[in-house]
Amino acid sequence: MTGRDPATPLWWGTIALRVVTLVFAAGVVLVHRTEYEREWLAWTALAAMTAWTVCTSLSFSREALRLRSLVLADVAVTCAIMLTSPLVLSDAQYAETAPLITTVWAAVPPLVAGARFGATGGVLAGLVVAVSTGVARLGVDLDVARDGVLLTASGLLIGVTATTARRSQTALAQAMRTEAANAERERLARSIHDSVLQVLARVRRRGGELGGEAAELARLAGEQEIALRALVTTGSGRSSGGGSTDLRSALQLLATSRVQVSAPAGEVPLPEGTVTELVAVAREALSNVDEHAGPTARAWVLLEDLGEEIVVTIRDDGPGIAPGRLELAQSHGRLGVAQSIRGRVAELGGTSTLETAPGAGTEWEIRVPRRPERSRRAGSGR
Amino acid sequence: MTVSVMVVDDHPIWRDGVARDLGEHGFEVRATAPDGDAAVRIARTVRPDVVLMDLNLGNTSGVQATRSITGELPGTRVLVLSASGEHSDVLEAVKAGASGYLVKSASVPELVDAVRRTAAGDTVFTAGLAGLVLGEYRRMADAPAEGEPPPRLTERETEVLRQVAKGLTARQIADRLVISHRTVENHVQSTLRKLHLHNRVELARYAIEHGLDAEED
Repeated sequence: MTGRDPATPLWWGTIALRVVTLVFAAGVVLVHRTEYEREWLAWTALAAMTAWTVCTSLSFSREALRLRSLVLADVAVTCAIMLTSPLVLSDAQYAETAPLITTVWAAVPPLVAGARFGATGGVLAGLVVAVSTGVARLGVDLDVARDGVLLTASGLLIGVTATTARRSQTALAQAMRTEAANAERERLARSIHDSVLQVLARVRRRGGELGGEAAELARLAGEQEIALRALVTTGSGRSSGGGSTDLRSALQLLATSRVQVSAPAGEVPLPEGTVTELVAVAREALSNVDEHAGPTARAWVLLEDLGEEIVVTIRDDGPGIAPGRLELAQSHGRLGVAQSIRGRVAELGGTSTLETAPGAGTEWEIRVPRRPERSRRAGSGR
Repeated sequence: MTVSVMVVDDHPIWRDGVARDLGEHGFEVRATAPDGDAAVRIARTVRPDVVLMDLNLGNTSGVQATRSITGELPGTRVLVLSASGEHSDVLEAVKAGASGYLVKSASVPELVDAVRRTAAGDTVFTAGLAGLVLGEYRRMADAPAEGEPPPRLTERETEVLRQVAKGLTARQIADRLVISHRTVENHVQSTLRKLHLHNRVELARYAIEHGLDAEED
């Protein structure tokens, strides 16, 4: 096992409990010593319990020695000592339900098993000790049943606690790794901003002024500059937990020298599936711009968060589409980009409108409810 | 009339490049500054018409410098010239009093035009800034009201800002909405003015509250 077991406080708790219950057991033997059938065996059992307490305390205090076999042996040894009770206790003691030789000392192994194996281990160990108690008591009565419930319940509780502690530690370690990664990313972003980007920006400007081949180089530098900026300034695919992620940073990755993305300053958290679909829709609309609007056309993506509704608008300043051309394509059974966009948006419970005219570019307006079911109800009430 | 400018950027290559570009296009470059503190100090003395402000200034804040300069020097306008992607910074600078924002990837003619318009008292809105401002008004409308009620956009202002955010020029917007070019400008300016005013009132309220607290202690 690597690192510190987060359940370590539980282990120390079981050690302390075992010592305290041993003292209690010793007190019981001292008080009842004259009533026992075999007093020597009572003292022997107590000696065994003392030895086992020392042995387990030494082992379980060290993380490396919290062995499965030792935890199983703990249950076995405890039950074995408990099962000497019929030989130790007299009939009179049985009649007045005097405590078994192990007393509450026997309650510790289920806790240990819970700490080691989790809830299931705790419950099983509790059941084993409970059965053993029934055997030692020579029959099941209300006391035995109550002990059984308490033993399994405590095993279960400690098991759940130990598992939870381990899970939280894993989550914490994960969070710390993410934080470290983010810090490293910020450091890289700063250093890229301070060096490469400045030079690229300068090359782009100067080259653009010189014209000719230099202008071509300037354009390339400009594209790299924008790509690099997008890379270092947006935490792409950063999930804000609960299966939701930020649509704003996802859309911002679409920015190029010809595509500008406008968005609010804050995150726009949406379910991951919705974000993926909306980005795909925006991509499709933009690819259409590339294909039909010519290499000089520019495009804009606007993201608006209206609370109940998310609006994504994709506009280009290309030549636009002549009226009827889209309908014509559709009636010929060709599934164009337009139909694909409409389909995707409808899947999200949203609406899409396309405005276009020759010479006026095209403009897609995509409206999607933040939570499909709820807003549909709200919409019908309006 | 020659427009005087000052360039604030912590990168010598960029700063000198911009200063030279502006000089070549007939602007009087009165000073350059490498950080926010120096920018405020120098601006007080040279009082340029336009300050070109980068927001990523190493350890000093371009937003704070923008607030100081626009607060102290009514004749000086701040045009933010910053890398794209610094969303919240740009918004803060605009709220602090900057009258426009231009991305560093803008071409020299775009830069020259933006500085001229800023000097003339116009706002320089990119599509990106319009998106930020729209988002800010919506955020303020949704946020729990505390103190001064947040300013709101009129329907027309929202409509104009949306068109700007979609990349339309003032002339195209005027055509679309069947209003004059000047009216479009006025709507855009009004959205910024309301933000500035609200920001100053909020800052004053904050200062008074904390000042009074300090006295009670």
